[in-house]
Amino acid sequence: MEQELMEDKIMETGGKGYILQIQKFSIHDGPGIRTTVFFKGCNLRCKWCANPESQRSRPEFTLDRLKCIRCGRCMEICDQKARTVTGPQGYPAADPAGCTMCLACEQSCPQMAIGCEGRQVTADEVVAEALKDKPFYDHSGGGVTLSGGEVLMQREFAVSLCRKLRGNGIHVAVETAAAVPAEQFQELLREVDYLFVDLKHYDSGKHREGTGVLNELVLKNIEVLRDSKKPFRIRIPVIPGFNDSAKDAAGFAEVLNRLGVPEVQLLPFHQMGERKYELLGREYTYRGKPQLHPEDLETYRDIFEKYHIKAQVGA
Amino acid sequence: MMESYFGTSTQRIKEFREKLLAVTPAVCTERAVLTTKAYQEHEMDQVVLKRAYMVKEILENMSIFIEPETLIVGNQAKENRFAPIFPEYAMDWVIEELDEFDKRNGDRFLISEVNKKILRDIYPYWKGRTLQDKGYAAFPDEAKVIYDLGIIRNEGNITSGDAHLAVDYQTVLQKGLRSYRQRTQEKLDALDYAEFEDMKAGYFYRAILIVIDAVETFAHRYARLAKEQAKTAGAQRKQELEQIAQICERVPMEPARTFQEALQSVWFIHLILQIESNGHSLSFGRFDQYCFPYYEKSIRDGMKPEEAEELLENLWLKTLTINKIRSWGHTRFAAGSPMYQNITIGGQTVDGEDAVNPLTWAVLRSVARTHLPQPNMTVRYFSKMSPEFMDACIECIRLGFGMPAFNNDEIIIPSLMDKGVSKEDAYNYSAIGCVEVGVPGRWGYRCTGMSYLNFPKTLMTALNDGVDVNTGKKICKGLGHFLDMERFEDVMKAWDYTARQLIHTGVILDNCADMVVEQEVPDILCSALVDDCIERGKHLKEGGAHYDIISQLQVGVANLGDSLAALKKCVYEEEQLTRKELWDALMNDFADEDGKRIRRILMLAPKYGNDNDYVDDLVKRGYETYLDEIKKYKNTRYGRGPIGGTYYAGTSSVAANVPQGAGTCATPDGRHFGEPLAEGCSPSHAVDLSGPTSVFKSVSKLETSQIFGGVLLNQKVTPAILTRAEDRQKLDLLIRTFFDVLKGWHVQYNVVSRETLLDAQKHPDKYPDLIVRVAGYSAFFHVLSPQTQNDIIARTEQQF
Repeated sequence: MEQELMEDKIMETGGKGYILQIQKFSIHDGPGIRTTVFFKGCNLRCKWCANPESQRSRPEFTLDRLKCIRCGRCMEICDQKARTVTGPQGYPAADPAGCTMCLACEQSCPQMAIGCEGRQVTADEVVAEALKDKPFYDHSGGGVTLSGGEVLMQREFAVSLCRKLRGNGIHVAVETAAAVPAEQFQELLREVDYLFVDLKHYDSGKHREGTGVLNELVLKNIEVLRDSKKPFRIRIPVIPGFNDSAKDAAGFAEVLNRLGVPEVQLLPFHQMGERKYELLGREYTYRGKPQLHPEDLETYRDIFEKYHIKAQVGA
Repeated sequence: MMESYFGTSTQRIKEFREKLLAVTPAVCTERAVLTTKAYQEHEMDQVVLKRAYMVKEILENMSIFIEPETLIVGNQAKENRFAPIFPEYAMDWVIEELDEFDKRNGDRFLISEVNKKILRDIYPYWKGRTLQDKGYAAFPDEAKVIYDLGIIRNEGNITSGDAHLAVDYQTVLQKGLRSYRQRTQEKLDALDYAEFEDMKAGYFYRAILIVIDAVETFAHRYARLAKEQAKTAGAQRKQELEQIAQICERVPMEPARTFQEALQSVWFIHLILQIESNGHSLSFGRFDQYCFPYYEKSIRDGMKPEEAEELLENLWLKTLTINKIRSWGHTRFAAGSPMYQNITIGGQTVDGEDAVNPLTWAVLRSVARTHLPQPNMTVRYFSKMSPEFMDACIECIRLGFGMPAFNNDEIIIPSLMDKGVSKEDAYNYSAIGCVEVGVPGRWGYRCTGMSYLNFPKTLMTALNDGVDVNTGKKICKGLGHFLDMERFEDVMKAWDYTARQLIHTGVILDNCADMVVEQEVPDILCSALVDDCIERGKHLKEGGAHYDIISQLQVGVANLGDSLAALKKCVYEEEQLTRKELWDALMNDFADEDGKRIRRILMLAPKYGNDNDYVDDLVKRGYETYLDEIKKYKNTRYGRGPIGGTYYAGTSSVAANVPQGAGTCATPDGRHFGEPLAEGCSPSHAVDLSGPTSVFKSVSKLETSQIFGGVLLNQKVTPAILTRAEDRQKLDLLIRTFFDVLKGWHVQYNVVSRETLLDAQKHPDKYPDLIVRVAGYSAFFHVLSPQTQNDIIARTEQQF
């Protein structure tokens, strides 16, 4: 009864959130076979971000210029006249001020060049979708992973979602950069079974250089996490020219030793998100930088081993 | 050849394999000439005797040879991978296409002018005498129209033998063909010719005795040849040839004593069945079970496991030597000269214990090493399959040749028992051909493989008042035109009404084909080796089999469901399109700008394969018409002895989705004119955008326990997911959930090749569903930048 009341209350306070997509059969986001829910909106602006569409909190349009023939149909159909021709080549773009997200332009595009990233959903909608794969979670020891974007940017929604999922017997993991005050972090931590925390840089100034924020909150939250006794994993995205030197590996290892974290996962820089910057019409400073592969990180990994930290490359 | 996980082949096998792969197949006329001679000499004889004399004529006179590399002997044609002609089944197409065989753009066969002349010379004799001539003439007019229009296809049923079964190899190995001879003689001696049934059985028994003698002669011919070759061979080969000679003097007449004897015995029988008839999908059954005692004994007697595996590889290479030329029309339904020689391994014993034994492992390893399209390997999955064996299966899948396929004991065994199959037989089922199943040695022909029904074309006919859209011919009664269908339920009614009529016609075509096969081309050896033909004195087509349930093939299941969903949503519920708009767009194949817009709207309707009940329920509902209607029909053996004598559904439509699509107009699912239909029970091409768990969920909503002729599900994976042990384990768990919990029927995996990735880079629209994964991240391939795509392609090459 108490649980039900609690849930009602959450519904009253608005159980809606912005997400990008719900991805089934995710196999690198925690134990077993999982469904990953990608939240939209992030408080970091990592220059190498592979999910740039997750950064802004509201839905946004994408335009594939390889497909667009500049026929103007999207502008004709727009009730709000929100689509205006911008840019030197005459490609359409939405004016956020006038757009009501009616998606008429997306549906009318004969070239299927227009896309929309992000939609508003209720926790119940997400739960219903996630429940479809319950047999797979149950049989594989899997569950649902909330990822982003930054899950903690929609804390209320996330907490509601976690409770409903766990209420249905689903294991919940969260992937976060944890750059929020400890109380906020703890609020979510109580509701989940497993945590992944990304640490982008051991040096706070460098951290801000790469992501836009300092790392003190992150380090504090890793301590909170460690003390919580919940299972967790720290992940380091290894980014060329940012944190991939031998000195950087040692720097990370020292910090992890200080935090009492015996294990770490190294994620080699990849370019799977490169084209998304084009679709979103955004600048990308890592354009064309070669990807790293597991074998490129062998020396880097060995440094962690010297500090008695178990380092695994890849998910 | 893969050299890592599964080890490497011996030099002898490597050389044999390379030689076989270097062959350009050609047409061999020997069998045609010998058959013609036997038929002419025995024209007056009862058909079973005529067929026996034909087998005798061929086995006694065809060219035989022993390849320098082989330890197992027996050839189908004058040279390996040459295709014999079977004139008694069909000759018109052979003569019509003679000059085209070597010009085909696929399944090409060379043929010499001499051989062309030989075939033209025998052609006049066969005019009006072939199975095809008699089958076509026997079709009632109403069915002939539909056959001619290609709405229901069963050309293969009147131009080929039946096959699609596994004979009782276990008894052949344990007791030898001599025991069959003895049993037949006893039955013959006990007949009273004054009884009509006894008199008929007498011809059949005498035919069996003639064929068994001919098999013995055939084996002895190899024994003599081996001895002859031994005289001039080097020391090691001399010893091998002498051993071959001894074995061929013994098997298949006597029980096998060693592993090599067992394999030779199995090969002789399999080969002779392929000479007796040109039916395909002749399968080996549960090879790892019935051969295991001989494997075990030979290992105990000092044979090294690697020697046993070399023999197995030798046998697999032999399966590649079998070839079949089909008419061009039929070839398109079965591209790549497939013979579907299935070998089934694993599964459970009748006590529910793991049946995997050391021979199971040896078969898996040896098939992986030879890495060929034949044999077609199926692993029977059951819930207690060990993680180690599953892991090895996934390693084999990694090699990218689509094997093994999995069939699921957890649903197949109970369903078989529901159909009246005894527990012991149900636990002993094997895959036949590719997906379908039967009980080896106890099940009649064609547990699948009767006529093909094109679902989307049937739907279009239903929407067009019973008139074929392509030709304007009225083919069945209608319920009016789509333009006048006010409600979605009118569409469903029209589908139901039309489908039931065409199913009825399909059964007529099947019965005709079965009738003429029974009358014209009974198989003697094949019948003798299936229970209870000898007991009843009836060949297989007369009702000799213990079980005889057959299935037709339903093609384009997903297109039907997707079309219904698009009609329901876009026309009737959301009224995005008028009926006229949609119909016109279908008739002009979405040609102009407006057509494109309409197609876009149709494409956005829910698609089967995404775990969306809206469309999945319609697939199920559409298919239910078929399941309900087909239950009403009997096959030609009903009431003549076998358990069953009925039909079930099946979707193992092999490559038929391509030609069936070629003749089908644009459909409401957004499919263009001529595009292939969806394969088996798999989702339509590139619309399953929600990943494998959703595909499994969608498929499992079908009444799979009723679709016994196979619920074919093809899945593709990118190599990356198979690289790391942790990821392979997740694939293992995925498959186990599908089978254990969702009671899936079948799945097979194709690994996306480098060529596919290159093609996807060039034509992103063809591959919207191709997902690539790196650690912690997955993305659709088409949204990656060219450089990233190149990087993935380059690494794909490294891994394989």
